[in-house]
Amino acid sequence: MRSGTSPATAYDDRPYTRGGTVDRSDVGALVRSAVDGDTAAWKALVDGLSPLVWSVVRAHRLSDADGHEVYQTVWFRFAQHLGRIREPHKAGSWLASTARNECLKVIKGLKRLTPTDDPQLLDRASEDRTPEQSVLDSEEAAAQSELVRFLWQEFEALGDRCRQLLRVLIASPPPSYQEVSAALGIAVGSIGPMRQRCLRRLRARLDARGAL
Amino acid sequence: MNDMNDMNGINGANGGHDGGQDDVFGEAPFVDEELDHDRLEEELREATAILDPVPAELRRIAIEAYALHDLDARIAELTFDSLVDAIPVRGAVDVPRMLTFHSGGLTVDVEVTGDGLLGQLLPPQSAAIEVLHGPRATAVLTADDMGRFSSTAPPTGPFALRLRTGGEVVVTEWLRA
Repeated sequence: MRSGTSPATAYDDRPYTRGGTVDRSDVGALVRSAVDGDTAAWKALVDGLSPLVWSVVRAHRLSDADGHEVYQTVWFRFAQHLGRIREPHKAGSWLASTARNECLKVIKGLKRLTPTDDPQLLDRASEDRTPEQSVLDSEEAAAQSELVRFLWQEFEALGDRCRQLLRVLIASPPPSYQEVSAALGIAVGSIGPMRQRCLRRLRARLDARGAL
Repeated sequence: MNDMNDMNGINGANGGHDGGQDDVFGEAPFVDEELDHDRLEEELREATAILDPVPAELRRIAIEAYALHDLDARIAELTFDSLVDAIPVRGAVDVPRMLTFHSGGLTVDVEVTGDGLLGQLLPPQSAAIEVLHGPRATAVLTADDMGRFSSTAPPTGPFALRLRTGGEVVVTEWLRA
């Protein structure tokens, strides 16, 4: 008799803010303290939000050099606008959308300069830096890191849209859906369903390879 | 009031998740998938921390960027960027990047090419101009009485201009050259 919750309802029930509300609750206070000259507050903002900024850069698959410059531009501009930001508690969304705009500019500039739009070209630049080497040194970490690398491979092999969405979602601490929306220009309401579909796809890939 | 009575109507409200057996039974597949997805996401998050963390150097730069916060300076907002706002001319290569900043009555026009930087202040006025690439200035330029300034060093990476004119300090919005 019980038919359970329909899939659509299950989507709707997902809280848009997830863990974000907890981790982000004091962003507004930190911004205000930083405006008043509190260096520690600024540092806390960097620690709490720079993984989000970085995830946006990485989600757009910029080359190392471009990505580093975008990241810096975003933080320089944030420091510049500090105290003039209208909604301090939404600083994460401000940073995410600024990062997105700068990433899109880079991509636009590349298209203008490069005769080809070949995405391989863009990918190669970022592959140069695959940071795995630094990780896998220690003996005891070897088995664990094999799993991690395996998971990462399958994640990287997902389609562009899924890879992009998940790359931002898995920033640490977890961004709110508002921040993800600002980072990727997608409606808050579509993030939950997209996330579910992408993770389901990733799970299927992992299952197919018999892992985890 | 009995929880069961409500269930048909407002199933989606999900109020009695903790209690009823029926509820759990009905939702089991979804709950499982939700849990699995949450776990998978968390594993990815941990993998990211290992394989693709924020580079330490960038974190340091972001922390040092605090020095750029200056409540006394006025910000000249970017109002035109040829990279975004101009229609590209077909076949044109190496087109200069045209930027326009506004702050109150002051307009700053900047043209960036491979050869350097050209600028114009409107209304025309003299100014001392620092080129910033981070918390420290890297070059000092002067705008003449006609408001013109130039540099043979093209800015690379993030940059901003800090102008001192008539007792005022104006900084252009940070952007990437």
